[in-house]
Amino acid sequence: MTDLETVAGIAGVDAAVLGDLEGTFLGAMRTSDGETIAAEMGFVGSTLLEVGELLGLGALCTFSLAGRANACLLVVRPQSLITALIAPPQSLGPVERAVDTAFQEWT
Amino acid sequence: METILQGLLDMAGINAAVLFDGAGHLLAHRGRSVYDRALCEQVGGPLARAIDSLQLQHEDWESATAQFADGTLLLRRLDTTSAGPCVLALVADSTLNPAFATVAIRVSSNKLKRALDGGASSSATGIPGQASALGSLPAYPAAASPGPGGSQVGSQAEGSRPILANSGLSWSRTGGGGVTAADQAAASYLTTCARELARHVGPMSKIFVEEAVRRVCPDLPFSLAASRALADELAARIEDEPDRQAFLLALKKPGGK
Repeated sequence: MTDLETVAGIAGVDAAVLGDLEGTFLGAMRTSDGETIAAEMGFVGSTLLEVGELLGLGALCTFSLAGRANACLLVVRPQSLITALIAPPQSLGPVERAVDTAFQEWT
Repeated sequence: METILQGLLDMAGINAAVLFDGAGHLLAHRGRSVYDRALCEQVGGPLARAIDSLQLQHEDWESATAQFADGTLLLRRLDTTSAGPCVLALVADSTLNPAFATVAIRVSSNKLKRALDGGASSSATGIPGQASALGSLPAYPAAASPGPGGSQVGSQAEGSRPILANSGLSWSRTGGGGVTAADQAAASYLTTCARELARHVGPMSKIFVEEAVRRVCPDLPFSLAASRALADELAARIEDEPDRQAFLLALKKPGGK
């Protein structure tokens, strides 16, 4: 099972997108807007890396965001970025824990 | 408003509390040790760019968390009537209790919103168009209280922050009167050095780092090639041997190279 399939298979994940820090679209599941999401999250990821370096916080591992209607989780992998679109936003916590478990298995 | 940020800073694990406007301009700030005003102002630009991009797909975002190898950046959106959308940013380390932080951030966000919307007459508010005036306000009133644990770093920082803030000690790639770093990675390393050194020597760490950089890289921007020499120079400032070793070990971690 690929990283993308693993994340997309977690309960609460509506859709998942695989990209990289350059904004390159590498794949998507259950969304037709993968290219836009990959570009956006690539930019966000690289900009947050810059913020982390300025603050001396080291490498970016994950980025999560919660709104009224949905949530989003960005996971930074060595060669890629995986974005999970989550609904409802209350599922963010369980999804983070599930991704964390999967992440530990990956490493 | 500074008092509200100080309340957040008093929480264990919080190293800086910063309020930005929608354009990334710093409205108010409280920070320990190396997280001085100059550094936090530097962060505002990239942070605003990231948030602008996020809002393309997540217009209704309320809170966000960036987890880094050596700490966490917590963001909370504040929609205010008078100042427009603002962002509360907290820089935290691994000792932060996330559950307590969530509650504290909610409470402080509400207070900040009230201060921004109705606090035009309060002393240190970030009123739109008056951001530059904020710069002239004393950022660290003498009455500010130290952290709950009365930690050495926190309490010493209170007394010396004006010196740090006015000494031009920002190590940027563009120079600016202080130490100059060759690239972003070098600047990040200097920040890490100052932060780790502050655990052992207090807020003078940034000055020690600047002095050490001048010794190991005279007349040249600091680069990572000189990181070992710099670490040794700084370690010499720490009297206690176990502390010295802990400092050197911390610099070898991924965030500290």
